[in-house]
Amino acid sequence: MNTKFRQVLKQVLVLLAALAGALLVGALFLLLAKSDPIKAYTVMFSGPVNDKYGITETLVRTAPLLLVGLGIVISFRSGIINIGAEGQILAGAIGATAVGTSLPDMPGVILLPLVFLVGGLCGAIWGGIAGWLKAHLSVNEILSTVMLNQIAFQLYMFLIRGPLIDPQEVSYGTGVPQTAIIPAQIWLSKLIPGTRLHSGIIFALILAVLVYIFLWRTSIGYRMRAVGAGPEAARYAGIRVEWYLVLAMALAGGMAGLAGVVEVTGVHHRSLEGLSAGYGFSGIVAALFGRLHPLGTIPAAILFGALLLGAEMMQRAVNIPAAMIMVIQGLVVLFVVSSDHFQRNPGSLAQLKAKVFRGNVDKEGGEL
Amino acid sequence: MKKRVFSLLLAVLTLLALSGCGAKPTAQTPAPAPEAPKVEKLRIALVLPATVDDLAWGQSMVEGLKAVQKTMGEDKVEVAISEKLGGAVDAGSAIRQYATQGYDIIFAHGSQYQSVLTEIIKDFPKTTFAYGTGFTTHPNVFAYDPQAQEGGYLLGMLAALMSKSGIVGIIGPMESGDAVKYNYGIQQGVIAGKAEVKSRIAYTGSFNDIVGAGNMAKTQMSAGADILTGSSQQAVGALRAVAETKNAYWLSTDMDQSGIAPDHVLAAQVYNWEKIVKKIIELRKAGTLGGQHLTLSLADGTIELKYNAKLADKIPAEAKAKIEQAKKDIISGKLKVELPKK
Amino acid sequence: MDGIINSEIMIIILAAGIRLATPYLLAALGEMFVQRSGVYNLGVEGIMMMGAFSGFYATLQLGSPLLGIAVSLVVGALMGLLMALVSVTFKAEQGISGIGLYMFGWGLSGLLFRLYVGGITSVEGLKAVKVPLLSSIPFLGPVLFDHNGLVYTAFLLVPVTGFILFKSSWGLNVRAVGNKPEAADTLGVSVVLIRYQCLIVGGMLAALAGAFLTIGQANMYADNITAGRGFIAIALVYFGRWSPWGILLGSLLFSLADSFQSMVQVLGINFPYELAVVLPYMVTIIALAISYGRVWAPAALGKPFQRGTRG
Repeated sequence: MNTKFRQVLKQVLVLLAALAGALLVGALFLLLAKSDPIKAYTVMFSGPVNDKYGITETLVRTAPLLLVGLGIVISFRSGIINIGAEGQILAGAIGATAVGTSLPDMPGVILLPLVFLVGGLCGAIWGGIAGWLKAHLSVNEILSTVMLNQIAFQLYMFLIRGPLIDPQEVSYGTGVPQTAIIPAQIWLSKLIPGTRLHSGIIFALILAVLVYIFLWRTSIGYRMRAVGAGPEAARYAGIRVEWYLVLAMALAGGMAGLAGVVEVTGVHHRSLEGLSAGYGFSGIVAALFGRLHPLGTIPAAILFGALLLGAEMMQRAVNIPAAMIMVIQGLVVLFVVSSDHFQRNPGSLAQLKAKVFRGNVDKEGGEL
Repeated sequence: MKKRVFSLLLAVLTLLALSGCGAKPTAQTPAPAPEAPKVEKLRIALVLPATVDDLAWGQSMVEGLKAVQKTMGEDKVEVAISEKLGGAVDAGSAIRQYATQGYDIIFAHGSQYQSVLTEIIKDFPKTTFAYGTGFTTHPNVFAYDPQAQEGGYLLGMLAALMSKSGIVGIIGPMESGDAVKYNYGIQQGVIAGKAEVKSRIAYTGSFNDIVGAGNMAKTQMSAGADILTGSSQQAVGALRAVAETKNAYWLSTDMDQSGIAPDHVLAAQVYNWEKIVKKIIELRKAGTLGGQHLTLSLADGTIELKYNAKLADKIPAEAKAKIEQAKKDIISGKLKVELPKK
Repeated sequence: MDGIINSEIMIIILAAGIRLATPYLLAALGEMFVQRSGVYNLGVEGIMMMGAFSGFYATLQLGSPLLGIAVSLVVGALMGLLMALVSVTFKAEQGISGIGLYMFGWGLSGLLFRLYVGGITSVEGLKAVKVPLLSSIPFLGPVLFDHNGLVYTAFLLVPVTGFILFKSSWGLNVRAVGNKPEAADTLGVSVVLIRYQCLIVGGMLAALAGAFLTIGQANMYADNITAGRGFIAIALVYFGRWSPWGILLGSLLFSLADSFQSMVQVLGINFPYELAVVLPYMVTIIALAISYGRVWAPAALGKPFQRGTRG
């Protein structure tokens, strides 16, 4: 017990030191921007936890971050990396919106699950394409997901400015690229009235537990992790590696797609411009901060949501250019990730990730 | 593995709790300083999807607000700005925060903010919100809607009358919103100006890729266009490419961009946000917190056609006369610039 | 559209394709060294933005695009050094550190621009230099030999980096470090030093790619000027399978598809423009899909090096 406590204490201290380092460097930039670092940081840290508003707004960001992060966990554990979550979020959102707006009279108890299903499926298909390309045509998934992000973005914009545009936008001649509002029976309920906090966060938390059970308690999950640990050994053991790669990417895409559905049903109630809001990338950071564990991703997503919100609030409080938000976030990520070095020796996780980033390798090394 | 995850979880929660506890006392210090309201100050907040210096949509509004601040007095009007809020979630936080802090008028200067606004406005019935481009209003929400096609029409005529190659190039961001209205106006204006002149539209597929817009402009010019135009933040990249080419001219929209290329910007469609802002301030003073759909148009001077004085002698007098006539006709309602019907 | 694709149009498309390929080529060749040494750097986009800003700012202040290039190279080296410190010395997870670097670079370039420039300003950038004699060759002349210096540099770097990587002893060390770091270490090659060197070179080339955007193309700076080009460059490294010629092929394919779709749009299309805009992305995926074969990768890619442990 005692050693365990000391271990935890050490981790907290190292994390705090890393954070302090990031803030110290950030303070230099704040001084450069002629603003008061103390005031800035006070707002950045107190803002997200200080009151109902801060806490709920943090959790509003946590829901999509966690869902995207869960997808990243699944794909990474299966030995494939997904940087296409931005596109998959859009695929899920547009699928959900299309179904929601076309069935306005259907009761919520049927429509809501249907919307989640379709949205998740759209994301899964979009992710699955990259998985299939990798498994069967050896197309590296970093390449395909980067490209698919762009394709999804253009497709999404086409749909929300064209076939799915709010008819009112056409009749008023404003032509704003957004769909009609989805029917009210599938709006996620507000957890706290007067805030934006919706039940999507509960959905995400439940899913985190389910993903944990799936990966560690089912045979499919076991095989997926086996593929991630070593495709050659897995193949030797009779596991159909290709199939599990596609499945992993489809599940990862599905999770990101669900993040899109949650944003539509919980926050915007329609599909509009800028919906993915960078969650596809910050979700990766949340998953890796969560040590690629579904349950670890929960606090990581909360923390990262607070960082996103806190930095925004700081920018407004001390009136500095918005670019400073990215500076602080980047510094925090760099320092925290560096501090890992002082926490543990790079073990199995590092090896796993190494395999992932090398891509689908048939041959190790050989060619010099 | 599980243990480690658990311990990290604990660590993070501890950290959260720590920062929470630690912050509370300090957070209270700024609270009792909500500057005792000696002078009745009008507080205006602006939320922007792009940057304050985009030479387009955002900057034109910032300059409008600054102009209002100048004429009404710095001590009478306070202006706070939050930029780069392309995501509606972050914009929503910003708008709500401004409303909580007691700002009187909040400009959510993006068409994508309509949904987040509808959610916030109920909690702040005494605050005036304004957003655009849009049409949906509420008792405390103004919607503004620039009739970009009107100025586009006049610029299109100018382009047709000035083009030597007979090709007018349009660099669009995406086919949506104000860009469509503007492009549609240009196209009709070109036809009205000179029937045999052609207009060609090409889209970059991005609102902010200035390098892509520059390359698209180069392609347009190499294929024969000599008068070019385009909208949104990306357009300035196309303008820069035009400025490097002899005998090629640019027509700008949203604001006058001649400052960056004085020898190449022939004319501009300028949104006079100052008038809109003043109007909203006056309506609010008179007790109208919202509920109006405010169009920007040539008729009330909220859209202006501005020629670049430096290049004024390049434009033949008869061309100018023709455009002035069209302007009069649009203002009088004799000429209606159509919008695309899908 | 009939007969519209004549030789004049072809020249425009090809010349634009060459120009558009330059930033991808520069950044991807840099990333190639980085990955060959066993590190992958997802932060290319952030370095490009810093290079774009510093090249622009130095040109604005000093009045010379050449000095702008020099400054951007220094800044790129510093950004590479930062990535090396985090991912080599501190052995951080490279996926996150890359994204951290991307955020930091984007933020810092935007911040410095706002603090020291304040608004959109244009500069006198690099001028096109016609290569004597060669530029007067019909067809090929205007396509290949009428560009600015950075374009030539990028294309010359293909054989040069190929030579360095495959024929020089340093290149051999790089490949050894990326493939069998333990063996390289035993032979007395410093894994850490080689990786530092590669990240610095990669940073410099990424910054050069960024500077090309601000002082070789747009001749101005604006927020988010790279617009995702850094990520495309990383994708092209995989397309090119860590070889300069493969990267050249990928960059050209992507860029020619881009310049082709621009021209198709300009000459009039009657289908949604989105189809045209996504053409380069589609072509790249499809080209790689149909050329599939055995994939080889540096064996130690992504693995932090720890002496004494088998990675």
